[in-house]
Amino acid sequence: MTEATDLAAKAGDADPRVGLRAVAALRRLLERLEAVQVRSARVHGWSWQEIAEELGVSKQAVHKKYGRR
Amino acid sequence: MFEQFTKDARATVREAVRDATELGSAEVDTLHVLVALTRFPQGAAARLLGGLGVALDDVAARAQLARRRGGLSDADAEALGGLGIDVDHIVSRIEQEHGPHALAGGGRRARGHIPFGEQPKRVLERCLREVIMLGDRRIGSEHILLALAVVPGPARDVLSGLGVSAEAVRAVLRRAS
Repeated sequence: MTEATDLAAKAGDADPRVGLRAVAALRRLLERLEAVQVRSARVHGWSWQEIAEELGVSKQAVHKKYGRR
Repeated sequence: MFEQFTKDARATVREAVRDATELGSAEVDTLHVLVALTRFPQGAAARLLGGLGVALDDVAARAQLARRRGGLSDADAEALGGLGIDVDHIVSRIEQEHGPHALAGGGRRARGHIPFGEQPKRVLERCLREVIMLGDRRIGSEHILLALAVVPGPARDVLSGLGVSAEAVRAVLRRAS
């Protein structure tokens, strides 16, 4: 890597836009992964209580988000 | 606000809702709206894209890829790659275990009305502002395209990945009005 591209890469890492985008994208990915896993657990016969315990949230929270879907 | 839409724009919104319903999505998102624009090749937005040298099929294909990744664009995947997270690897693992398009978030049975998500609402608001700034009288599909290119989100990323910026769309519309 030349000095110029190295500098550019470092500057890029510090760009808040890239960092914020990664966080927003990760959040979206996390939401989708959670939905997939919760649905799968329901298909496997898990109760809302069991799912909530694994996720470390309240049963009400998980049921409100995914119940009746 | 809806009566100020051209026929073209109304058809686009209806198509976005229809697409979301067919896919079983929880809500209408900006990718549904973007894909809807490509379904009317004679519409103002589609002709504008053609004028910018963009193929409608490419727009639809990239939008579908983003949906398959759970709404993450190439730029999102790249940003996560910078953290060592390989989005495509995650997508393929999840699809192996849970079936194709598992992360796309579809497959729900529609229970009546599918709501508009936050982002497409922001897009429609933005449309109105752009129409006013351009001095146009009604909201057409070309203004929906412009707003999609302005409001941050996967649809804007798909457009910018194909070289379509808000400035480029706005320039075409300024010349026309």
